[in-house]
Amino acid sequence: MNETGRHIARRDPAQVMRLSRLGSLHQCRLSFMRQLTRRMAREEWTFTRPVFAIDANGVGHAVYTAQGPDHAYSLVAFAHDLPPEKRSDRVIAEAWDATFTLFDGVPTAQDIERLGQNVPLQEAGRVSEHELSLSRANRSVRLWAHVVDRLADGQQPDLDQIYDVGYLMRTTAVYGSGKFGAADREKTADRPELSAPFQTEMLSVYLIRTFVRDLVQHMARAKGGENTADLDPKIARRLGIGNSTGLGMAPFIVNHPILFNNWIMVREEAIARVRSLPRASDAEIAQFQNIFDRSTLSISWWRSEHPVQIRKLADMTSDIQAIASHLDGDALTQDAPWDRLITWAEEALSEEGQELLASLVLEPYGDLVDGLASCMADSNTNAQIIDGAMPVSKARELILNNFEWALALDWAAEPNCARAWYVSEEKLEPRLGERFEEPIAEYEQPLAPARDAAAAYKALADWHGDIPIREFLLQHPEHRHTIRRAQIGRIAPYGEIRDNTISADVMPIDMLRAKLSFFGATHFDPRSDRWVRICMYAGAPYPEDLTNDTADTWVYPEPAA
Amino acid sequence: MSLSLNEIEATAKRAARGAGYTWGHAEEAGKATRWLCAQGLDGVWALASLLHQNLAHAPEKHAPCISGDTWTGTDVLCPLATGCALSDSAEVLRAAPVTLTNVNAPALLLPFASNAARILNSGVSITIDGAEAQTDGLTLHLTGAIPDQAQSVTVRLAEVAPPTQRQQSRATPDPAAWSVLTRFAHRTYAPATEESRLRGAGAGLSDND
Repeated sequence: MNETGRHIARRDPAQVMRLSRLGSLHQCRLSFMRQLTRRMAREEWTFTRPVFAIDANGVGHAVYTAQGPDHAYSLVAFAHDLPPEKRSDRVIAEAWDATFTLFDGVPTAQDIERLGQNVPLQEAGRVSEHELSLSRANRSVRLWAHVVDRLADGQQPDLDQIYDVGYLMRTTAVYGSGKFGAADREKTADRPELSAPFQTEMLSVYLIRTFVRDLVQHMARAKGGENTADLDPKIARRLGIGNSTGLGMAPFIVNHPILFNNWIMVREEAIARVRSLPRASDAEIAQFQNIFDRSTLSISWWRSEHPVQIRKLADMTSDIQAIASHLDGDALTQDAPWDRLITWAEEALSEEGQELLASLVLEPYGDLVDGLASCMADSNTNAQIIDGAMPVSKARELILNNFEWALALDWAAEPNCARAWYVSEEKLEPRLGERFEEPIAEYEQPLAPARDAAAAYKALADWHGDIPIREFLLQHPEHRHTIRRAQIGRIAPYGEIRDNTISADVMPIDMLRAKLSFFGATHFDPRSDRWVRICMYAGAPYPEDLTNDTADTWVYPEPAA
Repeated sequence: MSLSLNEIEATAKRAARGAGYTWGHAEEAGKATRWLCAQGLDGVWALASLLHQNLAHAPEKHAPCISGDTWTGTDVLCPLATGCALSDSAEVLRAAPVTLTNVNAPALLLPFASNAARILNSGVSITIDGAEAQTDGLTLHLTGAIPDQAQSVTVRLAEVAPPTQRQQSRATPDPAAWSVLTRFAHRTYAPATEESRLRGAGAGLSDND
């Protein structure tokens, strides 16, 4: 409640959890990268590079150590000389331009020796409880060569090319949480700096970006000798780290309904709090206007060749014009200005524009919303335990809450179940196949909660409402996973996608974007309906420039002076 | 080999699915195996010995028939189906102990007894033939050796003695048992075809740009 007594509720999950909207989400001040950079600045982390042993061919290793208040974390980076024919962003790749691990503490020479025998192999190697992440990256061949050649020639790289690509290397996987022998999340989840989601991964990528900047300078100098130019820090600042992501992220958000709920619900709560404000001060309005203008600059650098994203970018360009004209009026000086703005957007803008605005209105209100970040992790292991005493009638009601829309669908009709999610035996790559064209149905993963909910609901029809659900489950163990999800829905109203994840026209990139937006990614560039490239940390200060002044709104570029 | 508990859970879940269990039971198998490993017991060995029994091919024969305080199956009881029923029925323990007869791989019942303890917010004891275990949901007090197959298992509310097991953050399971799980897990992976390689992941464009 606020001083006028108006309280705007969080948006309805039925509105928020549609795939097209999830596929239009934008980063916001609660994003995991920004949480990390704010914390590191606030706590005055120090950064060192104790090792940089890389030869003139770009082969060797380096160590970057980030020291926080209680713990140190070290990126151990291995640089390789990769033949172009081996360069693939797919999980099935077996060699990369660079490979990394985040070591818990400061590694000894023996640790580095051990890691050198394993990290370059990625999935085919093993790391240990001392390591928190495992990752790799490939060069943007085009921009890498341009930057090396220009610097070696004593010149700065061409800014247009920097904006066109946005990064010198893109990561193709950043594994955490116990993968390939690394430490489980439980080892570090109680440390304040790693308790929010994906902080280990975000720290890994932050340090990778610094390494890549240093490596490109090193390679330029190896080529150009004493005439080599030092990369202009302002240009370096514009360089992010790319990420190339396939289907692995889609199963993640389905398989972690509480975690995904917590991300969405926190953002929705933040939006609701800002919408409930009775008025905006001049300073808050000015801050919002400034951030909006800067965000349009970033969006102007957003490139994609994918027809769907081209259309969405065109929509957003007209959305931005509509927002700009709307703000020219008295939109923000009336009462309840943010609620009016969001309500206006629902009629006037595409989902891209609506979600951009919903993220941007949070910017002037760090004091009001940043504390919510502590609610974004999932530590509720009890929620996985089924309540067998729940009456059948209640289980039915919970299924209806999330999936009423799915009950009327004909799930046997080919367009409604055309796809099947499966895991390939090739490096366990997650894939999406055509159920009626490929022999994959028997390998299907349980990633169609709506279909399964409809089936469970149908099976429950013959059961009296007062019977405890445990009796149903004893006879129908095939519905156990669905009843578990339905019960989880009691604490996770935003945990379920309200769309068909196996339909003929499902766009998996919508699921990828939803997750990546919470990381804080920008410039989503789909390469197909199930593959997307993004940019991370573009505009962020490097360690030597990280201060409270630079740590937060770096994602919005300042116009060139 | 030193494995993370996340690896244990993921592989155990896939293995149970590969052996024919439903997804719901496979999820429980993953969590149960992880819980045992976290208590320093070889949950991988327990699950591997269960999966060898091939009980998922006639699940109804190995699920408990619940009548009164004694639960039996028409054949040997599966600890996953029985454990789920035990966890789902935790509240009946408030009235009286439950006795299970003829249970395969009964070590896998312990994690479900721990669920019951959490639901009831009470200690639970579980007597497996000559072995006695007590759990408050998080920790385990264990005396005696748990047999591969139990004639009689009794579960009741109880005061819990101090834990005998130290919580573990890693597992080093019996290598043969681990390879049993990875072999069953492999059954859930679709054989790679050229078509699926190109279409299924949706890349296909050059990455040399």
